[in-house]
Amino acid sequence: MPARLDTLWYKNAVIYQVHVRAFYDSNGDGIGDFAGLAQKLDYLQELGVDAIWLMPFFPSPLRDDGYDISDYTSVHPNYGTLEDFKKFLEAAHERQIKVIIEMVLNHTSDQHPWFQESRSSRENPRRDWYVWSDTDTWYKGARIIFLDTELSNWAWDPVSKSYYWHRFFSHQPDLNYDNPAVREQMWTLMKFWLELGIDAFRLDAVPYLVEREGTNCENLPETHAIIKELRQKLDHEFPGRMLLAEANQWPADLRPYFGNEDEFHMAFHFPLMPRMFMGVKLEDRKPITEILQQTPEIPPSCQWGLFLRNHDELTLEMVTDIERDYMYDSYARSKAMRLNLGIRRRLAPLLDNDRRRIELMNGMLMSLPGTPVLYYGDEIGMGDNVNLGDRNGVRTPMQWNGGWNGGFSVADPESLYTSLLLNPVYGYQAVNVLSQKRSEHSLLSWMQQIIRVRRSTPIFGSGLIEFLYPANHRVLAYVRQLGDETILVVNNLSSSAQAVELDLRRYKGKIPIEMFGRNLFPRVAEAPYLLTMGPYQFYWFRLRRI
Amino acid sequence: MVEESVLTDDLVRQLINVGEVDILVGLPTHNNARSVEPVVHAIQAGLLQGFPRERVVIVNADGGSRDGTPDLVTGASIDDLRRSYKGYALRTLHSISTRYANNPSARVGLRTILAAAELLRAKACAVVSPESTGMEPDWIPRLLRPVYSENFDLVTPIYRRHKFEGLLVSNLVYPMTRALYGQRIREPYASEFAFSARLGSHFLAHDPGNYDSHGSGAELELAMSAITGGYRTYQSFLGTKSQGEREGGDLVPAMRRTVGVLFSSLEANFAAWSSHAGSQPVPTLGSESQVTLESIRVNRKRLKQMFTAGVAELEPVFRSILSSTTLAELQRIATLGDDDFHYPAELWVRTVYEFAASYAKSVMSRDHIIQGLAPLYRGRIFTFLEENRSSSAEEVEKNIESLCLEFERLKPYLLEVWNTKK
Repeated sequence: MPARLDTLWYKNAVIYQVHVRAFYDSNGDGIGDFAGLAQKLDYLQELGVDAIWLMPFFPSPLRDDGYDISDYTSVHPNYGTLEDFKKFLEAAHERQIKVIIEMVLNHTSDQHPWFQESRSSRENPRRDWYVWSDTDTWYKGARIIFLDTELSNWAWDPVSKSYYWHRFFSHQPDLNYDNPAVREQMWTLMKFWLELGIDAFRLDAVPYLVEREGTNCENLPETHAIIKELRQKLDHEFPGRMLLAEANQWPADLRPYFGNEDEFHMAFHFPLMPRMFMGVKLEDRKPITEILQQTPEIPPSCQWGLFLRNHDELTLEMVTDIERDYMYDSYARSKAMRLNLGIRRRLAPLLDNDRRRIELMNGMLMSLPGTPVLYYGDEIGMGDNVNLGDRNGVRTPMQWNGGWNGGFSVADPESLYTSLLLNPVYGYQAVNVLSQKRSEHSLLSWMQQIIRVRRSTPIFGSGLIEFLYPANHRVLAYVRQLGDETILVVNNLSSSAQAVELDLRRYKGKIPIEMFGRNLFPRVAEAPYLLTMGPYQFYWFRLRRI
Repeated sequence: MVEESVLTDDLVRQLINVGEVDILVGLPTHNNARSVEPVVHAIQAGLLQGFPRERVVIVNADGGSRDGTPDLVTGASIDDLRRSYKGYALRTLHSISTRYANNPSARVGLRTILAAAELLRAKACAVVSPESTGMEPDWIPRLLRPVYSENFDLVTPIYRRHKFEGLLVSNLVYPMTRALYGQRIREPYASEFAFSARLGSHFLAHDPGNYDSHGSGAELELAMSAITGGYRTYQSFLGTKSQGEREGGDLVPAMRRTVGVLFSSLEANFAAWSSHAGSQPVPTLGSESQVTLESIRVNRKRLKQMFTAGVAELEPVFRSILSSTTLAELQRIATLGDDDFHYPAELWVRTVYEFAASYAKSVMSRDHIIQGLAPLYRGRIFTFLEENRSSSAEEVEKNIESLCLEFERLKPYLLEVWNTKK
């Protein structure tokens, strides 16, 4: 049994997403690196995270923040060496922290030697490693993802005088997964990192691996077959390692990515995230319960990845038009805050730096079914800079203290990879790790506490969920159940105090124990259980029969 | 002593669960199971179309239905348990229901809706008839938008009607209200209307609350409250009002609800109506009136018979109410045959004004005064039908406008008889 439990480590983990570049600069060149990240592992251990998810750190022209890889088996010189990575990995494992790295399967940089060979001539052996065409009329059913920058999924290559297929930026040509040599090569690359000891891959842009005429070129059976093939090899050669899918799809379309426990172990639940923001703004649980009602059951060993914010824009692809308009008007009134079909802002500014709402959102993140993924800096309420291009406004340096460069680097401020936040509300002098460590009431201290409470029980990661539907729709309430353990979660989504009556007759006789303060509440009886809640307040109750 | 509230504990509990709203739609019902469902669906569709982002609630004030009407209303709630609804609601669309009595009363129903609106701090509130089966979803934004977005306080409807529908309104209520208070509100006694939070609160605070003795007519009182209180009024063209929805039932009860309320208002609002002359148009969305001309059956002969009989039988009553000149003229025309009969506008206006003055002085039971006016009204309607039998829509409108001007021209006569009666 212990071995089996260990293979499911991701189900009860708290994952922390970080960009090496942005975390800590150990050599004073203005760019974060692996040696710096290793130095900050104690901080992450204190925070209570179980796993670190690293954004791409491979050699790359960095035209898409590393998602345009030009060498899959090395480390970008900005971030150190492969040796530095190994040391970091070892240090993380010493602290029982798992390491998840990116694997961009769908495409490479156009600077990758494979593409350079492929475009060099139609006869080149690697010609068929990418998707080429003499016309740009194929696959018209495929939507354009980066609407703000791309007009077509085809780009003209003046070298080989033909079109190549790209679902993302035109400098990111898609690999041709109909070619067995490509599939084999990508597994070889994955093996390289698995043999070094990494614990999991977050596979980028998974739905788009295969193209077929007459389809939208997403979620095709052929794509699932490729995932199954990778999973089979992974389980066979590296049991206990994990695959996490980035598939921005509706729940019903996501479900197949878990397969019969033979595709992904985890997948991000993209549609839930914007609806959590919507629910709080609307002060109504409907968007949240509705999307979770539409979320299919997943196999026991599988898990949803939940997040509030990440390195990308707050994506609004998986919402209706009316919901998208509402989100823009509510959270991105300025056009500068919008990018593609989303909002490029961090958690704290999205929530007007309202501590109560930040806590409520994190409370839901930690208690809904899934594994929470925190984005670096959100644990201290870092801000963003919408004046920086693309999504760089949410990728500014980690703010460690109020001193030189916010403690991120000893380089001249002008030589940092990007500018620090300086404004009086979110700047590093106002928001930083050091000052928050000194206060037991800081957001950082609170985050440590909620992670500790979450980790005190496997119920949040592995338990069943049952929604209660109190007549007060401003209140989102659910029961988590695992074995004999029961936890009641009640969230007030409203900016005003609320009274709510819960039908807890099934738990008659049990005593609710509030999990943060460990205070007893009145015993559950036959009558509706009345709770009064302050604005944006939430409760986690352990229901115990004593 | 604990003051009695129109809000039951159950309703208060439901209101707590709903919380603050932006929009409230009131639906007073009593045994409307046969018609209420399409009305609720039209309300829901209208709310989703017009106010997709706002916090909204439908409040059903039921007067003790025994046909399951409240269940039909609340069963139509679009909440997180109902995913099959074809419309899309961004947030929960609440429908709640309360039974206020075993005895239906429009006044208590309206008062319950007003109280709920005040407690939920609704910025705009509409009331819709459960019998408006022809209602279209866009009635809801047409009624509510001027209140919610343009700061109007009362929105009354304009319906597309047949030229011989709504005769009590067109021949008495509208022209007299217009002459009295100076605003050209075509449907001051409407089954659909919308009002602002401040008008609702004002009315609630000043409503005597004698709902047992008053009967109804509260809708008209609300309109007069808005006019006399200086609130901003507005009209919205809605569409076709199904025939007979509002005119159903006996004439006398209908007159009690309308003419009785109008006459009652004169005393309290003397300062308001006695100080000015003429009238002003009201801002209007869409057509100011729409008349249709398809055929409709009216038993004109019976109207004339009832007039003639009334004038003869009620002569002792009329002697206490009417001036001798007016009574003599009525007795004269009562002798005319159907072909020659004509109840002229001026005589009709004088009749109405004299009844109004008598009503204020309570020369007899007010109910008897209203009953006494009924046969005379029928005589006037006989003439109206005769005059407009072949008229085009424009001509009908022109005739109604002439009658209105006659009410305005003779307003000094109302003041004169009013003061004489005093």
